[in-house]
Amino acid sequence: MAAVDVPYHLVKACRGIIFAARGSDIHSFNSSFEHISTWKYPSAKGETQSEAQSSPAPEGPPAKRRKLEEGEEPASNGREASSANVNGQGKPKGWQDSNPALETPWIQGLYITSDGHHVVAITNSDKTIWVFEHDGAGNLKQLSQRPMPKRPCALAIMPDDRVLLSADKFGDVYALPLTPSDHLPIPSQHTLISRSVTPGTPSTTGGSTPIPRLKADETVVHTKRNLKALENQKKAALERKQPIAQDNRPQFEHALLLGHVSMLTAICVAQATSPVDGKTRTYILTGDRDEHIRVSRGALAQAHVIEGFCMGHEEFVSRLCMVKPASGQGNDVLVSGGGDDDLYSWDLVHNKLVGKAPLLPRVQEVVGEEANKLAVTRIVAQKDEKGSWVWVICERVPALFRYQLQEDSTLRHSETIKIPGNPLDVAILGTSSSTRLLVAMEPSEQGFSSLLVVEKASEGETDWKQTPVPNLPEGSAPGGVKIGAEELRKILYTTESLRKLTDFD
Amino acid sequence: MGNAKQNKQSQKNGDSAKAKRDRRQKREEYRAAMKQEGVAELPRKKFYRQRAHANPFSDHRLVYPPHPDMMDWSVLYPDYAVDEPKEDTPAPAQESSEQSVQEGQQETSPESQSQSIVSLNPRKLSKQVEVADIGCGFGGLLVALAPLMPDTLILGLEIRVSVTQFVEDRIKALRLKHKDTQAYRNVGVLRANTMKFLPNFFHKGQLTKIFICFPDPHFKARKHKQRIVSTTLNSEYAYVMRPGGVVYTITDVLDLHEWMVQHFTAHPSFERVSEEEVENDPCVGVMKTETEEGKKVERNKGNKYVALFRRLPDPEW
Repeated sequence: MAAVDVPYHLVKACRGIIFAARGSDIHSFNSSFEHISTWKYPSAKGETQSEAQSSPAPEGPPAKRRKLEEGEEPASNGREASSANVNGQGKPKGWQDSNPALETPWIQGLYITSDGHHVVAITNSDKTIWVFEHDGAGNLKQLSQRPMPKRPCALAIMPDDRVLLSADKFGDVYALPLTPSDHLPIPSQHTLISRSVTPGTPSTTGGSTPIPRLKADETVVHTKRNLKALENQKKAALERKQPIAQDNRPQFEHALLLGHVSMLTAICVAQATSPVDGKTRTYILTGDRDEHIRVSRGALAQAHVIEGFCMGHEEFVSRLCMVKPASGQGNDVLVSGGGDDDLYSWDLVHNKLVGKAPLLPRVQEVVGEEANKLAVTRIVAQKDEKGSWVWVICERVPALFRYQLQEDSTLRHSETIKIPGNPLDVAILGTSSSTRLLVAMEPSEQGFSSLLVVEKASEGETDWKQTPVPNLPEGSAPGGVKIGAEELRKILYTTESLRKLTDFD
Repeated sequence: MGNAKQNKQSQKNGDSAKAKRDRRQKREEYRAAMKQEGVAELPRKKFYRQRAHANPFSDHRLVYPPHPDMMDWSVLYPDYAVDEPKEDTPAPAQESSEQSVQEGQQETSPESQSQSIVSLNPRKLSKQVEVADIGCGFGGLLVALAPLMPDTLILGLEIRVSVTQFVEDRIKALRLKHKDTQAYRNVGVLRANTMKFLPNFFHKGQLTKIFICFPDPHFKARKHKQRIVSTTLNSEYAYVMRPGGVVYTITDVLDLHEWMVQHFTAHPSFERVSEEEVENDPCVGVMKTETEEGKKVERNKGNKYVALFRRLPDPEW
């Protein structure tokens, strides 16, 4: 297996500062790509554990039994942990490889508050949300480290920059104060109970858990075998005496806002003005693997109220993006993409599909006619004097697709820019006068930089200038090690695996 | 327990394989006979048995409309259609492409429905479904509710294919049997995973009653997340219900009853219906006595725990 450098896989830009994640590290640069600082995932022994090898590839349905991690209480007794080991379902082959590049959790998401004062990251296998203070000059100070009950898939930051929304693989959305010292503006009676909080204690009664009561009794089970099982359970309960109930909820302030019975893939906060009463409201949009886009109230105490669903996708949803109309008049348009052949645009307030823009033919122009499906991995909005644009990238397709938002809120393909590698992330750099993008990619040739600037130098030009970013900090691969090409792709390309298998029973 | 089970299985392997083949053959012959038009005989359960649990997190091979506007209800309630069948419109049903290949397999949807419930241009009905029985099982409640609410469209939803087929055959036979009175035209059944796809079938505020009768208790703590009632899922029940609508729950498992009460009362969109009101609700009696599970619990002298929850109007925002 060929060993390759770990590429940059996440990029974000904010007021002249660029943050780029590579494996488990976050680097910052100034606008001329001079390295400013690096945050490394803490490597202290005991803090991170061997479980970190577990592949971040989506494991299918969220309910799957998975290997317990250290520091997590075994759910009731040791048996579960061992049986899960034996099962080991869903683990890709070779996951036990002890490559140091795989031992540390990777950065899975990178976010910046609108005021630029904070950077938020999620790391995959340890399910942790990290918050950093940003001094405005590219230096990060770690403020908090909060391990979530289930693996976060995507984050959103509320418009006030005070609350984080974490959407997880289990389907739940949690609100957390950005800084742990802050409090959530939600009265406690509005907090829902997660299905994943499994201990036998009802969380509302709090405290007193005398003897574990068996869930079933003789009036409920009747068959010989079930009665026998019940008797055994009773015996076991008597021997155990200790209540089995324990609380695996996080100890920091958090509130469950809403949940799907499906893996969440995208979350986005939007504001829209109602044509009926002229009031501007905040919405929480959540996209899932089962084709749904749910529109919930963004008033946090009312996030349990579903205002509607944007129904129409026929494959998984993987990305949601709010796009400003070119005129500046009217509500932002929701653009969604995933495993479908088209990009969808929506009128958020009425949950109405406005139009579909074909994407598959554009993909075929790049990778060949034989491509019959695609997986959207990024949708990024960009607005300038000439209009409102949407940049789209797809998994394993070495190109950037640019669409223009039309006056009727539909999208029209404007151009395709081929690049020398598979794009992993896109960030918009610079101001509205010239278009300048930073692309993180898996270069198709070894030794090629994994950061690429794509720009149109002046307005009259038709060609896009592509410049690899030189002088990246040396040895910044996790642990300074290379990684097998296949192993790397398994980590980087997880979106297509959201698609439902057609031969599945 | 696992070991004993295995031993027993390997011992009986030879015999049981043959018995299984015979059973399957009989089942297929029977089902084929039932498919004939004009069979007024009620289906027999023994040809439709299926294991009691289905994993709601699995993808299954489900057919559902991408949008509730694409659901052709006239397939289920043909007597309520107010326009003529439209010229053949392509039906982009989810997963529908595999239907032909997988015909006859356990996981496919009931044969008679699968090709037509999804349509780009469905026929219109004079009214819409307002009552849903989630996890309707063999359809005891549906059949009992039909004459009780003759002017309301009632839908049973069930995740198990064979069981759904049983209910479909049962409704078909009942309609034929009561040709003169036009009874049972207002009940229908669908194979669906409601935990994931409720909003694919129903519009906002469409339902006035939801029945959740003797749901799978999922005793193990690890399985609680598969329970059909949870605060987060209750948001979807609230979404498809109109304010004032009622969710009916009944179970013989005290622990599950307490769970459902806890999760519904913890949800700001629901309030528990008072004891007095529960007693006066005619649907409660039907739910206690007419569901298959209700009868079984009766025979075994078990307890029945009933709880009703009213959908509250959403607050201003």
